Amino acid sequence: MIAVQHLVKEYGKFRAVDDVTLDVKPGEFHGFLGPNGAGKTTTMRMIAGLLKPSSGRILVDNHDLDTEPEAAKAALGFIPDRPFIYDKLTAGEFLRFHAGLYGMSNGMVEGRVHEMLDLFELRQWENELVESFSHGMKQRLVMSSAFFHRPRAVAVDEPMVGLDPRGARLIKDVFRRMSERGVAILMSTHTLEVAQEMCHRVSIIQKGRIIAQGTVDEVKQMAGSAIDEHLTSVFLKLTGGSGLQEIDEI
Amino acid sequence: MRSDAHVGAALAVGAAFRRPVSFPYLLLPAIWSARNRVRRRERGDSLRGLLFGSIGVVVVAALSGGSYWLARQVSAYEEFGDYLLRLGLSWLFLSFLAFLAFSGVVSALSSFFLADDLRLLMTTPVAARRLFFARFARTLAAASWMVVFMVPVLIGVGVGRHAPAAFYIASLTTLAPFAVIPVALGSACTLAVVNIFPARRARDLLMLMGLLFAVAIVLLLRFIQPERLMHVESLPDIADFFATLQSPITPMLPSFWAGESLFAGIKGGVDWLHQAALWTTAGAFTVLLGWAHERWHFPGYSRSQEAPKTRFARFAALDTLAAVLPLSDVRRQLLVKDVKVFLRDVSQWVQLLPLVALVLLYLYNFRVLDLERIPYMSGFVKNVYAFVNLGMAGFVMATVAVRFVFPAVSAEGAAFWIIRTSPISMHDFLWSKFWTALAPVLIFTELLTIAANVLLGVDPFLQVVAAGSIIVLTFALVGLATGLGARYPRFGADATQAAGSYGGVMFMILAVLLIIVTIALVGWPASIYMMSKTGQYRWRLTPDRQAIIVITLSMVVGICMATWRVAMRSGVKALDAMRG
Repeated sequence: MIAVQHLVKEYGKFRAVDDVTLDVKPGEFHGFLGPNGAGKTTTMRMIAGLLKPSSGRILVDNHDLDTEPEAAKAALGFIPDRPFIYDKLTAGEFLRFHAGLYGMSNGMVEGRVHEMLDLFELRQWENELVESFSHGMKQRLVMSSAFFHRPRAVAVDEPMVGLDPRGARLIKDVFRRMSERGVAILMSTHTLEVAQEMCHRVSIIQKGRIIAQGTVDEVKQMAGSAIDEHLTSVFLKLTGGSGLQEIDEI
Repeated sequence: MRSDAHVGAALAVGAAFRRPVSFPYLLLPAIWSARNRVRRRERGDSLRGLLFGSIGVVVVAALSGGSYWLARQVSAYEEFGDYLLRLGLSWLFLSFLAFLAFSGVVSALSSFFLADDLRLLMTTPVAARRLFFARFARTLAAASWMVVFMVPVLIGVGVGRHAPAAFYIASLTTLAPFAVIPVALGSACTLAVVNIFPARRARDLLMLMGLLFAVAIVLLLRFIQPERLMHVESLPDIADFFATLQSPITPMLPSFWAGESLFAGIKGGVDWLHQAALWTTAGAFTVLLGWAHERWHFPGYSRSQEAPKTRFARFAALDTLAAVLPLSDVRRQLLVKDVKVFLRDVSQWVQLLPLVALVLLYLYNFRVLDLERIPYMSGFVKNVYAFVNLGMAGFVMATVAVRFVFPAVSAEGAAFWIIRTSPISMHDFLWSKFWTALAPVLIFTELLTIAANVLLGVDPFLQVVAAGSIIVLTFALVGLATGLGARYPRFGADATQAAGSYGGVMFMILAVLLIIVTIALVGWPASIYMMSKTGQYRWRLTPDRQAIIVITLSMVVGICMATWRVAMRSGVKALDAMRG
């Protein structure tokens, strides 16, 4: 559903993303893990159509993002790490505008607005300006817009940042249910507990290159870790655990 | 969360793509946001509306009145008057052509490449062509709003020349395509530069364009050399002057087509040829630009998102200067931070360039004008110009202060928590902002005042009074801007929005009042002194008059110092209250 093939992004001589290949199948929850500056967000932004790859191919729902950008974007729901919302619109207006961008006809929009606001517990704020929302509320509004057009695939960058435990549980629940209904989800995250708990497969990226890919257990094997070992220590082994040592020494 | 059935229905996968979105739909957020702003008015909106509305009425009245007067004057010369009117219209449109092209470059950079909402729109299935039309409409609106100033001018000309209805219709059908052409050219220039130059340099485009614009204004006006009109005794020079005026007006430019179309309207006819030239060119430019955008917008947008190059990463001169200044460590660090942040944000300081260009032009005119040739500029009245200069310097200072000093606290934005949580007193913080702003503003306005008065040959006493007045006025206005900026901060807004907020408008009102009071209080004793220099017995400098001079000048110092101290104290108090 989301297929990334030999993706490369270069900034001058610097290669931020280096030959990344991913395949997220329908119903699969795929964790995209890596240290800061590894190339996760750059990859996600290319999948969303915000950055032009230097080379490689991205397919969403079998539509090539380069040659059929509208069809590919219509099938994708994108949740960025720093989302933009029009501050002077109300939550309801933002969702209605979003519906129009995805070509949804007026008849189905009103009911869908209430459905999504209910789902993300924002119904009572429907007519409030977004500028008065807390970070968590904005995050939930962005998610309701990303799922509004019933996407077949979702790319989400750091969804848990700034959410309270209730919000985080809500989001996890929504993702799990979407995955059960066949939506392919590619989630970039630092929250390894969430990745371990929810992801069917993970890819670990470092310095722009995928260094491990597979189920959580397969990745543990690659790192030479025990099956019951936590993903955090596996991650540190694969990406270089010297940081922890330094912290201990301090 | 609701029941499983409801949640399941909400999250079900659906058919993907439905109908394409039309381009006017993409303008809806701006329209809805404007409507919401009107519905949820904030404090000061009425005051701001009243102030700007009043200024607008005065400007419209002045423009239409002035153009009416000019049109009446030139109509007295029959054929020569017609020639002058055509020349005037062509020059008016030529000036706007340059303004619109420059404005188009800057607006296109913002709306096509740097606008925040592109991060949302570019991820949605909106066709590139439709996105182009929506962004071009936005660019056109942002770049050509100044065309509204042509409306009162044209109404004044129309009424002055008793023009038929055809003239007003021609005005509408001329202004619309006329605005599109230079803005499309400017947008094309932006598209090319963003794609050709390394993305890191794309934002430097603003600086480049600002400089070019400033230079263009000076060159354009120097090219005409209006001071030659002073040589009224030499007719060949007059003919030469008009030849110069005629020279940049070529039938190849849209400004010429627009001028000719309107002139035909004044005469009751329709200039189909030039109207057609305007509309077809505007249409062709839009289509070509749309085509170019479909191919090169996404690569350019992608490049423009790269991190801008860091300027002044090593700024040894600033560090050295800060080290020798008698400042505490805290104030030194705040000074260095504020200066670096300001210099690194090209979009901020580039706005100073046109202002500097206009000021230089103002001064240059005093240098090239042979004032002794103008009867009313010699003698006593010439000294009155010292106060015009004082007013000019005051208004320049108020403009600079509202745009750059008032938003100084708001500019801390989301990073203000660093100040609030660190062991820095709000007193130190705000006074650091004050001193950082004071030095450049004082140097700039003091130089402006002294230079203008020296070039004019103003009496030395008035030069000293004006120079002294500017010092106290600078303390007052910079203090007022800093204090009110702390009292009415807008942390979420950019500098322009902060300047236009309730506090910004309040500052401008108080600043204008203070300038008027200062000029009045300085003018009175200065006139007493100047009268005494005429040597007439009745104007002699009696002890009473000397006392008046001392008292009024002291009042100026007192009012300005009080404004400065009270505003700063109020600002510190407001920041302390914010800390809780």
